[in-house]
Amino acid sequence: MSAEITKVGVISCSGEALPEGTISRLATRRVLELLRPEVTVTLCLPLFLAGNDAERKFARTHPTITIDGCSKQCARWGTEQHSGPVSAALVVSDILGTESTGCHRSARDASQVDKEAVWEVAERIAAEVDSVLAKLTPGNMAVAPASAAQCACSSPVPGGKLNINGRTVSIPGLPLIFQQCAERGISISDGDGAALLEAVKIYHSIAPEDEAEYRSALLTAYREFRGGTKAAQ
Amino acid sequence: MGNELTESPVLVIPCSGIGKVHGLISREAAYLVTDELAPKQTDTLCLALLVKGDDEAVSAVRSHPCITIDGCAKVCAQKNVEMAGGRVTKAIQVAESFKNHRGAKPGNATVLTEDGWTIAREIADNVVCEAARVHADGEVAR
Repeated sequence: MSAEITKVGVISCSGEALPEGTISRLATRRVLELLRPEVTVTLCLPLFLAGNDAERKFARTHPTITIDGCSKQCARWGTEQHSGPVSAALVVSDILGTESTGCHRSARDASQVDKEAVWEVAERIAAEVDSVLAKLTPGNMAVAPASAAQCACSSPVPGGKLNINGRTVSIPGLPLIFQQCAERGISISDGDGAALLEAVKIYHSIAPEDEAEYRSALLTAYREFRGGTKAAQ
Repeated sequence: MGNELTESPVLVIPCSGIGKVHGLISREAAYLVTDELAPKQTDTLCLALLVKGDDEAVSAVRSHPCITIDGCAKVCAQKNVEMAGGRVTKAIQVAESFKNHRGAKPGNATVLTEDGWTIAREIADNVVCEAARVHADGEVAR
């Protein structure tokens, strides 16, 4: 396997004036941290003007998807004007329609409606990442060199480790998955761990013959997680 | 810009950097100011509009004093406002605020901890003081 991996750039408008800008930012983070951590990178949009030449070449060295809050599409137009063409352009207000009506700009006010909106947009971005990668062939693949511009924090978040049938398995973003499970009300005494397994299977491939072992290991890890977080109090 | 303003506002423009906690602190500090601490005297606008070169945004930063809050030394918010011809009366860097909070664990680019909110509030208080000074000195209507 090549040491260099094709990574898709995900550029968020992060517009401060609208809740949809906050959703674009958080959904992009969700993709980077949890949904597609191995194949995505990001860059702060304002760096196209304020940064250096390597940063301005971002969209020429990565297939890039822009995520805009509203129809002004600042991320798309800013990227194309200052960096390079984009592979896809998503708009939060198009994805959510009226669902974003009750959303907020600040995390202080975030509710379940905000969280669900972020998940919906994040899953849409992840699908677009898959689509962009599927279209790449060795002949037109843009491979980002190690020196290419990217944010320092765009590397994958640490994963949780489980012992499955005597081997250690790493699951990217497991704490975030557990956090989401806690927010959805999944209890530490949740039967045989079926709900936890279903949540993890969304992001991590699990062979049917390993499911029983995963359920048990996930229950143990989830109890430890809840025991170590305020959410469990 | 969306607040119900009684005075010509000072624009508070964070970088909202997406890679580090500093960007989130800048963003939340700006909201603390515009939504809670000084909603009638301040407002914000999308920095991305300046990157795009939007005429209304360029006009806004040229006609209102601006306070920028940047996460890191690349000072994207300050540079973008200045490139658009805006006047930055105070440029704040979140990283500088960390000097008073050695060992703090502020969270990450997605969520702030109590330490992170404490730093955001300190920055917000700093911005409110500067906005009050700008109003007191009559710098708001150009």
